[in-house]
Amino acid sequence: MGTAPASRDVTSYGMGLAAPLALFFLLFFVAPLLQLFWLSLHNDTAGLHWGLGQYLHFLTDPFSLSVLGSTLLLGAEVTAVCLVLGFPIAWLYQRVGPKLQTVIILIVLLPLLTSVVVRTFAWIVILGRQGIINATLQSLGIIDTPLKLLYTQFGVVIALAQVQMPLMTLPLITALGRIDPNLDDASCSLGAGSWRTFFRVVLPLSLPGVIAGCTLTYAAAITAFITQSLVGGGQMLFMPMYLYQQASTLQNWPFASAISIIFLLAVLAVVSVFTTLGRLSRGYGGA
Amino acid sequence: MILNRRSLMTTALTLGAMKAFPGLSFAQARPLVFATFTGSWEEAHKAVLVPAFRKANADAAIVLDPMLSVDQIAKVNAAKANPPIDVMLHDPGPALVAIGQDLVEPYPVEKSAYYKDLIAEAQEPMGPAPFFQVVGLTYNPEAVKTPPTSWADLWKPEFKGRVGITNLNSTLGTGWLVEIAKMRGGSEANVDPGFKALEELKPNLAAVAANPGALATLFQQGQIDISPGNFNAIQILKARGVPVEFVAPKEGAIAFKTTIHIVKNSPNRELAFKLIEAALTPEVQTTLMNPPYLIVPTNSKVTMGGEIARVLAKDTAELKKKFVFQDWKKINEQRSAWIERFNREIKI
Repeated sequence: MGTAPASRDVTSYGMGLAAPLALFFLLFFVAPLLQLFWLSLHNDTAGLHWGLGQYLHFLTDPFSLSVLGSTLLLGAEVTAVCLVLGFPIAWLYQRVGPKLQTVIILIVLLPLLTSVVVRTFAWIVILGRQGIINATLQSLGIIDTPLKLLYTQFGVVIALAQVQMPLMTLPLITALGRIDPNLDDASCSLGAGSWRTFFRVVLPLSLPGVIAGCTLTYAAAITAFITQSLVGGGQMLFMPMYLYQQASTLQNWPFASAISIIFLLAVLAVVSVFTTLGRLSRGYGGA
Repeated sequence: MILNRRSLMTTALTLGAMKAFPGLSFAQARPLVFATFTGSWEEAHKAVLVPAFRKANADAAIVLDPMLSVDQIAKVNAAKANPPIDVMLHDPGPALVAIGQDLVEPYPVEKSAYYKDLIAEAQEPMGPAPFFQVVGLTYNPEAVKTPPTSWADLWKPEFKGRVGITNLNSTLGTGWLVEIAKMRGGSEANVDPGFKALEELKPNLAAVAANPGALATLFQQGQIDISPGNFNAIQILKARGVPVEFVAPKEGAIAFKTTIHIVKNSPNRELAFKLIEAALTPEVQTTLMNPPYLIVPTNSKVTMGGEIARVLAKDTAELKKKFVFQDWKKINEQRSAWIERFNREIKI
């Protein structure tokens, strides 16, 4: 390192190293995606007749559109919960001693160390009729009959928020760590209160982290097939389950392909909104 | 031995290629591949069927490749000329799909020593049924004091918010809906009465599970007290100490044939036949009928015993009387429309 001959262009070497990964992506990501797209342009399940019938079917069907809408909304709700709960943790992390920092990072990472299936089943135990929440409320005499928590939108949002929380907290911790603590003091010494400092200094400077966290959480929440189907149950239909149903149970691959292409585009649209916000915020943070 | 970068790379690439394309390593003679189902099926087949097959066939090599029916079909479809699977196992719906797509061979009935001993419903010329899956009522005996006797009991007002069902993705969910439709004057071709009945069931519904496995666990959580359920899934829960009981409703328990097929163009046709023969023998079926497997046999020479004799049927004659078989050819014709309708109408 550092002793490379001066004549050699260091950037070209980097490209060569990226080639295996690029090839891998080309073979196992781009090619299947193109195949998927090709399949979605057929009107019959055997893939013999070309046409846009599958897309028309989806886009003119209020039910399919409502599934798409509720999936995108679910993502927004989960992202909002993660942001509201994750920000204080990240903020706290920057203000405690190294010992507590280790504890916090362990707590944040812990969900990533267990399988999604295990975490989801834990939520079934917590939210169930005889689960921890209902049992506690009943023993305290607050409620008589158990609340219905499992198989509700609320249950899905809470479970997903916990499952995806690290994806929000980790970028936030990084972003908050990059802020010079002197700026806080400067703001205070110039007469701003803690809240004013937070909203005018800390929050704008942490926006890149907020946006990175939101993008990750959002993308993970709307595609979380396992948690959605186990906590949401069979009657709450989100895009991943809809897709699975068409592809696997009904063997209607062209329609399933069209669903996935539409879903992909919808997610890309949301993510590009986040990225645009991120670009704007960079200007804001630098100002 | 000198290890340089080049030789290491070559070795790594070769190993990688063998891993990525396992076909390279056993170019011609590959062992018999049996695609069973995952979970308890795999366990049962590994412990009972495979040893019996190997004993009868001079320790022939066999590989279990457990996967869902739909995945089996997709895998064989992707390589019809040289299929990676020799023997497939199917629920009634996917079995008809596999036959319809010309993926399986007719079973050599005249060569078979056991085919004629199977009860009539299990004699399928495109692939016999070595086992039945049975769907009846399951309930929590601690919460439900008088055992239910009929599908109609699910509508009783005392079960308000206590009933669980699955959606139509599963064989169980679809088969149950058809049975409900029949109870109200419908049929495999007309499930309208079934959907009307579902509408009336809504106040009682506590959960619509995404699959039968998820439904069974809801008993564990006390989320539901009564539901249609698979006999085998309930036995597994019961063995783990969950308070559940199975009862065959008076309308008849729904029996699904699990059929076993020789894949078309299989390079191991003869061994595939032998494996299926082993699955049809009274010995294998008797062992699988006993705990912990409790799989319902189809060979009429098997004497029913244990839990199966207690809750389902004492012999083949009673089994025929108490089981209902459905016409899956008819069901498959409209199933996608039903799934769509269920998606739209069943919101609780």
